[in-house]
Amino acid sequence: MSDVTEWAVELKGVRKTYRTGPIEVPALRGISLQIAPGEFVATAGPSGSGKTTLLNIIGGLDRADAGEVWVAGQELQRLSAGELAHLRLRRIGFVFQTYNLLPVLTALENAEFTLLLQGMPARQRRARVEKLFSEIGLSGLEDRRPAELSGGQQQRVAVARAMVTEPALILADEPTANLDSAAAIALLDVMEHLNRETGTTFIFSTHDPQVMERAHRMIRVQDGQIASDEVRGSRGTAGTERGAV
Amino acid sequence: MTSVLLLVKISWRNLWRNPRGTLLTALALGLGLALLLISLGLLDGGHEQTVADGVRFGPGHVVIQAKGYQESNSDELLLPARVVSAIEGFLQTGTMKQLVRGVSPRLQATGLLSSAANASGVRIVGVVAEKERAVSLIPQRMIAGTYLSSDQHSAVVIGDELAHKLDVRIGSKVVLMTQALRPPGAQSKDDTGEEMHSTLLRVGGIFRTGLQAVDGNIINVPLPAAQTLLGVADGQVTQVALLLGQEGDSPMVARALRKQLAGDPVEVLTWRESMPMLAQILGLDHAFNYIMNGVILAMVGLGILNTILMRVLERRYEFGVCKALGLRPGQLAAMVVGESLALTAISLSLGLVLGLSVHYYFATTGLDLRLLFRGGLPPALVFDPILYSRLSVNRIVWSVGIVFIMATFISFYPALKAARTELPGALKVL
Repeated sequence: MSDVTEWAVELKGVRKTYRTGPIEVPALRGISLQIAPGEFVATAGPSGSGKTTLLNIIGGLDRADAGEVWVAGQELQRLSAGELAHLRLRRIGFVFQTYNLLPVLTALENAEFTLLLQGMPARQRRARVEKLFSEIGLSGLEDRRPAELSGGQQQRVAVARAMVTEPALILADEPTANLDSAAAIALLDVMEHLNRETGTTFIFSTHDPQVMERAHRMIRVQDGQIASDEVRGSRGTAGTERGAV
Repeated sequence: MTSVLLLVKISWRNLWRNPRGTLLTALALGLGLALLLISLGLLDGGHEQTVADGVRFGPGHVVIQAKGYQESNSDELLLPARVVSAIEGFLQTGTMKQLVRGVSPRLQATGLLSSAANASGVRIVGVVAEKERAVSLIPQRMIAGTYLSSDQHSAVVIGDELAHKLDVRIGSKVVLMTQALRPPGAQSKDDTGEEMHSTLLRVGGIFRTGLQAVDGNIINVPLPAAQTLLGVADGQVTQVALLLGQEGDSPMVARALRKQLAGDPVEVLTWRESMPMLAQILGLDHAFNYIMNGVILAMVGLGILNTILMRVLERRYEFGVCKALGLRPGQLAAMVVGESLALTAISLSLGLVLGLSVHYYFATTGLDLRLLFRGGLPPALVFDPILYSRLSVNRIVWSVGIVFIMATFISFYPALKAARTELPGALKVL
């Protein structure tokens, strides 16, 4: 990892403690790690181990109590709420466990939601979403509302929504948790394909052994600390077209 | 701009996620507007009628009388004939001619009217029949006989209550007794210090206005007969009453007359000044109505607040997702306000259709108050038992505006709640 000039994600001694009245629950206890651009990383660990908190802090949804969090070349601790929102809109894609598509929008409108917020012209927007839909097997479903799609299809729309802005980083929290085995494999195929084709960095949390097997790097979290960090296969490097975040 | 359109689209579609709830909420707000329009229409209609009838049974929209008369009520204070001529001449010129519908000089005094059966104190109003017809409603309320005419010199027109008390009918003889009017400071002509005059009159007509103070008290006699009886010379009168085409022109006409008559010992009063009690009652009625409307709107507003707030709280997770995707707090707030405005637009449409339909019915058919007050009409405000709704465009715009502003204002709190959706708390996971 020493040859990487700029990390997609870098954490230095990150701590986070949740407080409920007098009770303090330490979630992260001094985590340090580096993730290179283009990596396909899984974080695993038992419930309450801190993996969700880790993703929240990397995604700028929550702030660390101590330590440094660098994403896409910016130190998140120094950014205002508005700047964090801008970073999420432009540089980070999210895939949620329960899909979280806006029920009043069609699949296509959901996928282009973030592009609309970015102010991209309609023709360009539509072309980009249709290309992505075609790549991940959603062609023909553009006009359906989420309620008219299966769980697997909804999750693929969620991936399309995360990918469509061509972010440097995609964070996915247990993306296959609500999918059956076939749909989970199909989704992983899509994510791996996009990782390979675009060089986008993927970090996902999971309990699913199928997902763990497909990850190129496996970070195990326990009691708010990294228990193991195992690189299994090809991984991204800085300096690739997509990785220069 | 594109993102604004997206927010509008989302807001509009969000409204129809629960069509029944949306329609019920819209109906509640619409009913609020409809009630506001209906009550304002009836209030304005009632006031318009009250003023229209009040001024025609009283001193007109504008009255010119001797200086100090309003305060002292002294019948000895008279307008010189020269001033009356000047007033009549001025009112025949330019704009005044278009604004003024009737001009009636009146000589007023108190007296005693006696019949063979009884006697009663009365308010004598000496009038020029043709001119009084253009101002007063009494000539239109005759229930027996006819109103005065220029060729009747010894006729008297009285109210039905007075006729009943005196037990007289058309053609009956009555004696009117009164004290001669003397200018302030003038000496009495006889030794007793009093100049009691009386005259024999015949009841030529009986009217009924429904107002006890008028029907049991007022009598109309020809002006020359009144002047002779009261010993008033040279065409002096107590007042000149004006009826205008529009009540709203009263202040302008009064101002013009004050300017024209500057230097003369006269006072020019609008009906609000000459009938301050009526003006105060109407003002109080307005205030009470505004309070009632405020209460109705507040209740409707709380209902709307509750509905929108519930919608926002139910969608906390959704707002969390939007925020996670990069939607800024202001955009989230705009989405909620947009949703509220769309709901308001639907509500206002419903309210306008409903409110204006009911207003149209009351404006054309009227609301018969006798159906509401079977035990008898309240004595004061409304002269005509059928109330007609009146709504100006200004009133409609004002009502729509106030409901719109209220709904917009109300949406700010839920919008603030949405904008303050906290991450990552709003998301169960991630």
